[in-house]
Amino acid sequence: MKSFQGLSTGRRPMVLREESLSSGLSGEGFLFKLPKTPQGRFKILLVLIGLGLGVLVLRLFTVQITEHEKYLRLANGNILRVVPLPPLRGPILDRNGEILVSNNMNFAVSLIQYGLKDNEDQIMERLSGDLGVPVAEIEDTFDKVRDVLPPYLPIPLLTHLSIAQLARVQMDLWQLHGVVIQAIPDRRYTKGDLAAHMLGYVGSLSVADMKSSYARHFPPGTGIGKTGLEKEYDSVLQGTPGEDRNLVDSQGDVIKKLPPTLPTEGHALRLTIDWRLQKVAEDALGDRKGAVVALDPRNGQVLVMASHPSYDPNMVSGTMSHQLWASLLSDPRTPLSNRGIQGTYPPGSVFKIVTTMAGLDSGAIDPTREFYCNGIFRLHGWDFHDWKKGGHGHIYLKQALMQSCDIFFYRAGMSIGPDRMAAYARTFGLGEKTGIDLPSEAPGLVPDRKWKRKRFNQPWYPGESLPFAIGQGYLTVTPLQMARLMAVVANQGTLVTPHLLLDATGASVKKVATGLPPDHFPPVREGLWEVVNNPSGTGRPVKMKEMEIAGKTGTAQVISNRGPGGPGHHKIRAHSWFVGFAPFSDPRIVVAVLVENGGDGGDTAGPVARDVFKLFYEDYIRGATPETAAGAKE
Amino acid sequence: MPAAYILRSNSTFLGVILVMISLGLLTQYSIDWHLALRQGVWAIVSVALFWVCLMVPYKAFLQKSPYIYAVLLTSLILVRLVGHESHGARRWLGVGSIMIQPSEFMKLALLFLLIYLFAREPSYDGLRVDRIFLAFLFTLVPAYLISKQPDLGTALGLIFTLAIFLVLRGIRAHTFFLTILATVTALPIAWQLIWTHLHSFQKDRIRTFLNPQADPMGLGYHTLQSMVAVGSGGIWGQGIHGATQVKFRYLPGASTDFAFAVFSEEWGFLGAFFLIVLNMLIIWFGFETAMTSKDPKGFYLAAGLTGVFGTSFLINAGMVVGILPVVGIPMPFMSYGGSALLMTMVGLALILNVRLRDCG
Repeated sequence: MKSFQGLSTGRRPMVLREESLSSGLSGEGFLFKLPKTPQGRFKILLVLIGLGLGVLVLRLFTVQITEHEKYLRLANGNILRVVPLPPLRGPILDRNGEILVSNNMNFAVSLIQYGLKDNEDQIMERLSGDLGVPVAEIEDTFDKVRDVLPPYLPIPLLTHLSIAQLARVQMDLWQLHGVVIQAIPDRRYTKGDLAAHMLGYVGSLSVADMKSSYARHFPPGTGIGKTGLEKEYDSVLQGTPGEDRNLVDSQGDVIKKLPPTLPTEGHALRLTIDWRLQKVAEDALGDRKGAVVALDPRNGQVLVMASHPSYDPNMVSGTMSHQLWASLLSDPRTPLSNRGIQGTYPPGSVFKIVTTMAGLDSGAIDPTREFYCNGIFRLHGWDFHDWKKGGHGHIYLKQALMQSCDIFFYRAGMSIGPDRMAAYARTFGLGEKTGIDLPSEAPGLVPDRKWKRKRFNQPWYPGESLPFAIGQGYLTVTPLQMARLMAVVANQGTLVTPHLLLDATGASVKKVATGLPPDHFPPVREGLWEVVNNPSGTGRPVKMKEMEIAGKTGTAQVISNRGPGGPGHHKIRAHSWFVGFAPFSDPRIVVAVLVENGGDGGDTAGPVARDVFKLFYEDYIRGATPETAAGAKE
Repeated sequence: MPAAYILRSNSTFLGVILVMISLGLLTQYSIDWHLALRQGVWAIVSVALFWVCLMVPYKAFLQKSPYIYAVLLTSLILVRLVGHESHGARRWLGVGSIMIQPSEFMKLALLFLLIYLFAREPSYDGLRVDRIFLAFLFTLVPAYLISKQPDLGTALGLIFTLAIFLVLRGIRAHTFFLTILATVTALPIAWQLIWTHLHSFQKDRIRTFLNPQADPMGLGYHTLQSMVAVGSGGIWGQGIHGATQVKFRYLPGASTDFAFAVFSEEWGFLGAFFLIVLNMLIIWFGFETAMTSKDPKGFYLAAGLTGVFGTSFLINAGMVVGILPVVGIPMPFMSYGGSALLMTMVGLALILNVRLRDCG
């Protein structure tokens, strides 16, 4: 037999060896020299095993030392199951500590996906029977979130169980594997529909919320503020969820319960609102559509924020039927809209305050100069009429404000011009959001030449300056903006930012000096005093014996093309305004009232404002307790 | 031979064995003390058997190897007929709680037989083709029976045993190439045969190894959980009570195939390294014994046993750390199993047996 080496190299002669431990595969001509003896090959085998051990050590080094953290994390993720516990939402109090919003305990029936095997349909059907809710509805609720949430979290299927539902489910619980009954807190609005818009309401987490960076870690069943203060201060109110921590095995069965971290209740919100004033304002509004805003002109604290028609947030936050929601959304009276900050209206004659300031600054108005009003203002052959037939005769600025003479302000507006008028309107905070701590505020609109060009691609016509001067035309404002405007008059030159959160440090008070000349305020204020206190003033229904009130009425004409006669311009009943402040010598409250389609400002809006002034006087000035007196300051 | 002499002159080897038995028991204890108790009984039996195997000259085993082989082959057939079934596998023979897994001993029997038949076969450069064919036959018949238990790991162990023997014994060049050629030709056919006969979980394991990322929580679950266990051990380990992967039953086969993962989680990199060093000491002892043996049969026995021991450790550890596929080859001393422990101890006893009678 020839050896491989002999064949391949031919250098050695064929060798026959009797040695029993002769080499098998060998060869110098091979890739490398293989050992000829079993001992040699054993050495190679050992070297290979040694190399294998070396690889093993390297691998252990990587896995155990270099990548230790990663695997440790995986190990912890394996065994620790964290189920978040929803916290109680912080309560909301009025400035005097009255509870406006607190929590109710409710029972919800929830399903843990881990408990489900192939018996899902069975469970759904049984639950449907117990709860008296169609299977499809339960499955719908479940399917919406089942892929979004980790499988060990209970998914609420139905909240606000009735006692009967609770009892039926409880009795069936032994055969409903994976079903749990959870106590889930929800909101209780103690005053019903009072201040509903401002407070807002809480809804369950939407799928979008569950994916958002803000609410991703909220436990299922947590409420989230949808509107109003509930939304604005959601992060403050939320509190911190607790954690129920369990060690579980690979089947998801709990091996050991670890001490849970309990949830911490959210912070309470103490509002600047006085619920008694709020109530008076809302009672005074009654069934009429409108808004009442009251604030402290010294610091911008909002005392009243009312909007009608309203709704009961208890209905909206709880188990609201789809019908109720649909009816709220489609109601032509728009009960969901917070008119105080979202309703935009022409300010009407209240705007004459701005015209006056602009006129005084520009010299178009001189309070000492007599003016004759014959009731007609003629421009380029067109006649513009005063609201009072025959006019107001010989008047000064004071009377012009008191009786709200249109002709006087037409004349001033013509000489001031739209751009300067607009600039003053903005100085008073119109045309921009007030910055109140509520979501979805409307900015209103202050027109000028540039805006006209941009919006309609038209120049500003001189005739448009006349309605602008008396707060009609394109100009729109919110009731809150009007209150803020009046606060500038009341505090003589400071634009405050309205806010709802009572804050002992005063950090939330933001004020801007308007730069309006101080000596221009007294003539305006005197005029506004006459409006209320002069027997022939337009605001005389507001007059109080106990406290001097000043203010301005407005009767804003509304032109709608949704009138009774089909499309086209129709005059409908004017919006009614009263905006005033008190006490005259040391103003502490500004009240702005708007009644939609209320007609004459003094007669309709005035009495509403008066009710608020009256209670304010009784609570804060006449019978001032140290507590309430302190509360009025910040 | 005086016991005192044996103990004195091989104290390191014997000491290492005792430490490894203890570490194995400790690991089993950390998983479940019932396991440690049972394994402890097996450990005592194995120490006794170790001593018995020292007293009998190793040549006697080789002389009787055809009988040993025949008995074990018969018992493998018996397992198939009347074997005890557990976890879907039929591997055990026995009465009551004493269960023997003949397949473990088959590895030894095969090595004995191969040495007995072929070590002294007069030849020029290596085994002839017909001898190699015989060797394959003696290996593949029990391997087939074992793979049907099913126990792919032990069947592979037999094939490794053959491979190691052939490497040591040597094959003539053209025989070698003929074997290679035959294998290459037969491979597609064999693959078809093997693949269709594999159990679905065995196929899954192979698939998983070929593509471990395909399903990290499903088929690759074993490997992933094993690596999580090993990795979370860190340098110092989680301690004997801190091995959460095992405690909470995340690691399947923790006591058997993945006992090394448990050990690594508990004792960390340092512990695992220490265990590797212990194994290296044993391998080195076997290597020295084989190299100094004056009798070819002594050489083949010591070298073969050392090779089987070393590759078992390496393959199991490689599987635990995710660099080799999950095949059920137990780790000597670590994995739970009386038969495996007995086999290991008998093997090491025979290495020492060779050393005492054949060396120096």
